[in-house]
Amino acid sequence: MTAISPEVTLPQRRVAHNPFAPLATLAARRFQLSVRTPRELVVPLLTPILFALVIAPALKQALHTSAAYEAFVATGTIGLLIPLNTMFAGLGVIVDRESGAQRELLAAPIPRSLLVLGNLAVAFAITALQVAVLIGAASARGIHFNATATGVVWFVAASALFTVGMYGVGETLASRIPRAEEYIARLPAIAIVPWFLAGSLFPISALPSVLEWFAKFLPLTHGLALVRYGLLGDSGGLHDIWSMHSATMMATLSLAVVAAFAAALTVIAIRVFNRSAVR
Amino acid sequence: MQPRSEPIPRVKQRAIDVRKLRKTYPGGVEAVKSIDFEVAAGEVFGLLGPNGAGKSTTIGMLTTTIAPTSGSARVAGFDVAGEPLAARSVSSVVFQDPVVDSALTGRRNLDIHGRLWRTDPTAVQSRVGELAETLGLAELLDRPVGSYSGGERRRLEIARALVSQPQVLFLDEPTVGLDPRIRHELLDVIGRLRDRNEITILLTTHYLDEAERLCDRIAIIHAGEIVALDTPGALLAGLGHELVELHVNGDAATALASLRTRGIAGDDAFTIGSTLTVPLHDRTAAHAISVIHDADLAASSISTRQPTLDDVYLQLTGARLADAA
Repeated sequence: MTAISPEVTLPQRRVAHNPFAPLATLAARRFQLSVRTPRELVVPLLTPILFALVIAPALKQALHTSAAYEAFVATGTIGLLIPLNTMFAGLGVIVDRESGAQRELLAAPIPRSLLVLGNLAVAFAITALQVAVLIGAASARGIHFNATATGVVWFVAASALFTVGMYGVGETLASRIPRAEEYIARLPAIAIVPWFLAGSLFPISALPSVLEWFAKFLPLTHGLALVRYGLLGDSGGLHDIWSMHSATMMATLSLAVVAAFAAALTVIAIRVFNRSAVR
Repeated sequence: MQPRSEPIPRVKQRAIDVRKLRKTYPGGVEAVKSIDFEVAAGEVFGLLGPNGAGKSTTIGMLTTTIAPTSGSARVAGFDVAGEPLAARSVSSVVFQDPVVDSALTGRRNLDIHGRLWRTDPTAVQSRVGELAETLGLAELLDRPVGSYSGGERRRLEIARALVSQPQVLFLDEPTVGLDPRIRHELLDVIGRLRDRNEITILLTTHYLDEAERLCDRIAIIHAGEIVALDTPGALLAGLGHELVELHVNGDAATALASLRTRGIAGDDAFTIGSTLTVPLHDRTAAHAISVIHDADLAASSISTRQPTLDDVYLQLTGARLADAA
């Protein structure tokens, strides 16, 4: 065998620097890809808008309920919009892996957790925009919200943390499921079924006792109770879960549940992505 | 990390250093079996072998997308297991399949690479312009990559890999699936990179002509093991300057044994199916053909020719490269 020169000159290692610049690059990339796929922006919004603007008023008329019921359902649809949108965002991960630039990104000199966080940042921003559109459309339709400044803080915190947690669910599934078709097949069970059980169209106290007990463990139940507490000043959902007298205490407990959900799913999503990225 | 345009201190080391590197996938498939090789800076090193030989797994371990089971590998001195970010910061890879954001423009794909590799944005701009000219992409850069042809896309991927001015460039079967004209264009591009001698290239291929044309040295990899490693010339020289190839109607192994008995075939003669190949070394073709006629081997054809890398591969592995690929 021919010997090669044993020693050659090469540039030396470089020191690490601020990780936020690559994160911004990844988020900008994901945003550009998302806006080029309008279905990711529009489709998740359609069903909640339909519920808030058409079905809730129809139910109000048919069942002779009050205007408060329209607001109850309109806020409940936020609990459908967030899972739908974040799960659709998870599809982008599969597309990246199957026909996009994921392998190039995995070869980049950045921590791979930034790929998850960059996607999360965009899913979060788009979800926030869609929730704002939903509330705006409901208001324009004449649905009345009764939010105080403190209430808005509860609403924003609950919605934000629930969005983060649900994106973690989407990213985790996308990392473990090989094909988009299989991912979509699981979407109803994760994004829609819990919505019916979490007090979105009726209080969980109306459920059979076993299901009511089960619903109390769903992060969505806590999230929706907080959204209604924040936007409508209605602590009924929180009381159905905790049966306490202090609304603030119940809201704090439910926010802790949603925060734990968000933190756990983010950690899981990053770990699962890292494991699936390296064979 | 400093922008790429700033001067950086230099140390002495190999560009790639692989020691006892092994990969066993879950299920027990041994894709790479304790391989060793080293590549000097500025060298073009080829991993030649069929699909499934372990070439892409080796590149995957060097680019930190596949975790080695055991052994070590260093890229520009950085251990791929212990210092993966540093190893990735000095290298780029062109994958076997298209790995691009088709919805984005070519320019944006290049820009993202530059930013993620922390290259100075001003340097990226000028580098993109230079690469676009060199690779014939100037007119395409502002179009979505989805509208590119296969060859244009592959040229973009090569440009992207060069934006960050890597010290080590991994090319994983860069011409697979391309039509012959585009393939030759790309080989010219890689050849120009080679001539500039500024970059170390590890190239995997199962095309013999690519390996012979581009590589300073070649490792023939078969079933996860390196079975030969040398310059193309030295590998060919192992089979002498000429060989005899004959197709026999009977059993080729029996015919080979007969030629060995008569002193015409040495240990490096080999058979594949009904074809028997005999390196001549210091024997003359006329003498060899005369002996073959005397042996009455029922040969349907006899010819002489110069050895190729295919013969080297065949002699080492017992399988024709084009068939195995």
